[in-house]
Amino acid sequence: MSAENSKVPESGRGFTVNRRELLVGAAGVAGAGALFAACGGGDKVVGPLTFGARTVDESPTKQLKALVAAYEAKTGNTVTYNATESNAFQNNLSQYLQGTPDDAFQWMAGYRMQFFAEQGLLVDLSDVWDKIGDQYSESYKIASTGLDGKQYFIPQSWYPWGLHFRKSMLADLGIDPDGIYNWDDFLKMLDGMKKKGLVGFAAGDKGGWEAMGTFDIINARVNGYQYHVDLLAGREKWTDPRTAKVFEYWEQLVPYMNDNVLDLEWDGAMQLLLQKKAGAMLMGSWFGGNFKEQSDADYEDLWIIPFPEINPEHKRDTIDAPIDGFCAAKNGTNNDGGKDFLAFAGDMEGVQAMLDTGVPMTSANKGQDTSAYDAFQTQQLAVMAEAKYVTQFLDRDTRPDFAGPVVGPAIQSWFKNPKDVNKILESLQEQWDALPPL
Amino acid sequence: MTTVSTVRNSQILKDRLISVFIGFFAILWIFPILWTLWSSFRPYKEIRARGTFSMPEEFGIFNYREAISRMELPTYLWNSFIITVPAVFLTLMFGSLIAFVVSRYSFKFNVGMLLLFTAGNLLPAQLVFIPVFKMYLNVGDLVGDRRFLFDSPWGVVLIHVAFQMGFATFVLSSYMKTIPKEISESALVDGASVFRHYWNVMLPLLRPPLASLAVLMTTWIYNDFFWALVLMSTDKKRPITSALGRLTGEYVTDYNLLAAGAIIAALPTLVVFLVLRKQFVSGLTLGSTKG
Amino acid sequence: MKSSATRPSKSRRRRAFSRGDRVTLGIFVGIPTFFHLVLVWIPAILTIVLSFTYWTGINFGDIKWAGVANYDNIFTKTPQFYEALRNNVIWLLWFGFIATPAGVLLAYQIDRKIRGHQAYQSIYYLPVILSLAVTGIIWNFMLRPDGFVNGVLGRDIDEAISFFGNYDINIYVIMVMASWRHIGYIMLLYLAGLKAIDPTLREAAAIDGATEWATFRKVILPAMRPVNIIVIVITIIESLRAFDMVYVIYGTSAGLPILGILVFQNIAGEGASMKGAAYAVILFVLSIGPIIAYLRQQFRADVS
Repeated sequence: MSAENSKVPESGRGFTVNRRELLVGAAGVAGAGALFAACGGGDKVVGPLTFGARTVDESPTKQLKALVAAYEAKTGNTVTYNATESNAFQNNLSQYLQGTPDDAFQWMAGYRMQFFAEQGLLVDLSDVWDKIGDQYSESYKIASTGLDGKQYFIPQSWYPWGLHFRKSMLADLGIDPDGIYNWDDFLKMLDGMKKKGLVGFAAGDKGGWEAMGTFDIINARVNGYQYHVDLLAGREKWTDPRTAKVFEYWEQLVPYMNDNVLDLEWDGAMQLLLQKKAGAMLMGSWFGGNFKEQSDADYEDLWIIPFPEINPEHKRDTIDAPIDGFCAAKNGTNNDGGKDFLAFAGDMEGVQAMLDTGVPMTSANKGQDTSAYDAFQTQQLAVMAEAKYVTQFLDRDTRPDFAGPVVGPAIQSWFKNPKDVNKILESLQEQWDALPPL
Repeated sequence: MTTVSTVRNSQILKDRLISVFIGFFAILWIFPILWTLWSSFRPYKEIRARGTFSMPEEFGIFNYREAISRMELPTYLWNSFIITVPAVFLTLMFGSLIAFVVSRYSFKFNVGMLLLFTAGNLLPAQLVFIPVFKMYLNVGDLVGDRRFLFDSPWGVVLIHVAFQMGFATFVLSSYMKTIPKEISESALVDGASVFRHYWNVMLPLLRPPLASLAVLMTTWIYNDFFWALVLMSTDKKRPITSALGRLTGEYVTDYNLLAAGAIIAALPTLVVFLVLRKQFVSGLTLGSTKG
Repeated sequence: MKSSATRPSKSRRRRAFSRGDRVTLGIFVGIPTFFHLVLVWIPAILTIVLSFTYWTGINFGDIKWAGVANYDNIFTKTPQFYEALRNNVIWLLWFGFIATPAGVLLAYQIDRKIRGHQAYQSIYYLPVILSLAVTGIIWNFMLRPDGFVNGVLGRDIDEAISFFGNYDINIYVIMVMASWRHIGYIMLLYLAGLKAIDPTLREAAAIDGATEWATFRKVILPAMRPVNIIVIVITIIESLRAFDMVYVIYGTSAGLPILGILVFQNIAGEGASMKGAAYAVILFVLSIGPIIAYLRQQFRADVS
């Protein structure tokens, strides 16, 4: 038994973010920003520092550059902005952190962060939390805590994974978005799209991670939150018939998907939605900015609902809502600078600088005035509100040497041959069992 | 019964067919490059709006201008330069040193050395990179600057030199075997030291293979993609070939811009190739056949 | 041709090296050898050793002995390994039976100076001098959903043939791209060797009234034995080592598993483990045969 436990990542042993607390944090009080302004970082001169961004897309880059500019303006410290495309960044993170990383960089919460903290590659940010912690609800603090009880992460934003579609397209079919509650409603909508010659359910899994969201949500819907968490922690088996059931449901969606799932990355699937060639897409809501870049009308047409209920026992009580944020790298040349920058970034002052760019962002900070949220953002909150349990996404909730190298390719081979599901599940279990002890 | 002239006539016909066949494929061969070149002169917006085969309304070098400014290509080209030139120089120098000792003096270890270097040239890079990565960081820590070898052009230069030395050694030693012993003998009779033997006597005679090797090595090292990717973490320091990977992700929606970037990246080797074609061939000759 | 190492030297007196000479020799040999050992051979040995451990690659203190566990994992629990092996074999077969012969025959024709041979030589070799990153961009242009080929076929973005994403055909797509390069490379290598062939051999064959094809098979091929071996070895090694082109298209996702990608996927990034080192060792072991064949061919005279 103890050998079993030695394989289980900490976050799998009952790491729950209470969605109520998350929402209390998000639905902040208007004007609270002013109260917190003086508490953040950016008071001292800590010299030049470097910041690594995990994106090269236009909208998020605009936000981050605004943050950096605001920090530079306030403190006079120069920040060098280094951007890397996100997949490349993730794939090289281990080398990056061991080598010559930036002082502060964008990263994600969950076991993915805790693992690197364990290896001694992240800077302890507990004292930063002491300063700005009251701007975040308890569950964000939990999400930012490493396995040793200290904090290593500053949250920036979160976004729910849900079913996105264009209101206008559903209107054409005569379907009311709120009318899609359960699996049958969903299939009916997909049928309608198919009859019109459109792709019902757009999906892209070229990067190997995108489809994990679909697995997560179907598993949580069919088998419940606890089973999902247990499966990712190795306490339940991939060969269990309950896990196989996930793929049974998933297979029902295949006829409605685009043919080239493995040739498109997430943005390819988004393009299908943007160009009105597809009806729905399961994705995190971060791409709102991309729609807004296209036109305001497109952005206003965008909508999100929770993934439909499958098992009435679990309703729609779970949602993947990964938290993105920042860390400071131990091997950076300016640890103090990194911490000072992060104190600013986590403080309402930094958050406001990012919000002022006009790029939609759902901040983790209590100070964000949600009454100023547009319709899409308010809907994201509503989607979150319905969920009782929040997970971080498969590749953040389980061991990194299992998620990327094993589960990713396994799902991709399932797309190639859905009939091989049993073989694939057996192999997944075998490879989990063969993982070295942590 | 076929006479010689019948054979020859049918051969002429066959030759024409062969020529046509090869010619046809030559067009297919060069087409992708030409298409990329063509696309680099057109704006992406127009292609998206009016289709891949639309007649161009806008046609010009604006993509190139934008590539140079937005993608900061000159920085990357410079990085390629400061990596390639020292690497080629050191590789040739080290290769010539070993080749010199091994072919002009009879030591017992001669064959072993050549084997060592040639085999080393053929090892897969992946077999080596984690220890090298750790090594670079640890040496950096020893010296007090983590970026001494890691994330530094010198780190990349050294690994190229270490790997390519073998080929240079082999080619140069093969060549040196064709240089008459008498030349060395007379130098030694004159009392020349080993150094002068190398510097004044042998090196000047090595110009042809050195030139060929320089051309080959420049192309190979300039085109390298893997080492700069794993041994450098600051994107701005990377050579253009590794940087293209990032740029592809960044500008994935503006493919015509990327085409211009790719053409610019390919220009140095294209120029070297077109101008120094002879050296290419002779370099490979020396490398593939023995004397 | 005997090497200088075995031919008895003219004067039998032993060379007496001065101290300065010995220092020079030491430096001449020592410095290059030092770099070569330290950056190539020692890391190679270390990787082989590491393949028998559990390690994330981060802290030295975490290295734990694993025996053959990584290899067992690869051989018995990782279906991806067999997929990759299959793809490398396809690569090898394609190169061996299609690309390399094409390059050889092309070289022969160009050497015969058919019409246009000057231009052909350059055109076919052009892909070889392009960096693989550039090659990736060029072919992406041709094969993307909104690229040239799909445009010619009249297919729009959502019904485009997915050359890179259709996993039934993508290996062959990559093979075409790889051949685009490989054929030119082999062509030039062979061409270089053909120039060294005694022209009288060919004249004799012509006088005898042999067809070109017969001349090639019975006269040229046998005479090119050394180069043939080189070409075969390079073909095998390139198929096994393949990495750059696939990485440029797919990154480390499992688009086209081949051994080279599996090494990188497991040894770099977040989920790093020494399984990657084991993959590298497997790659190395598979290459040993060809490497030894190459060395024997090149050093035949010396070794004997």
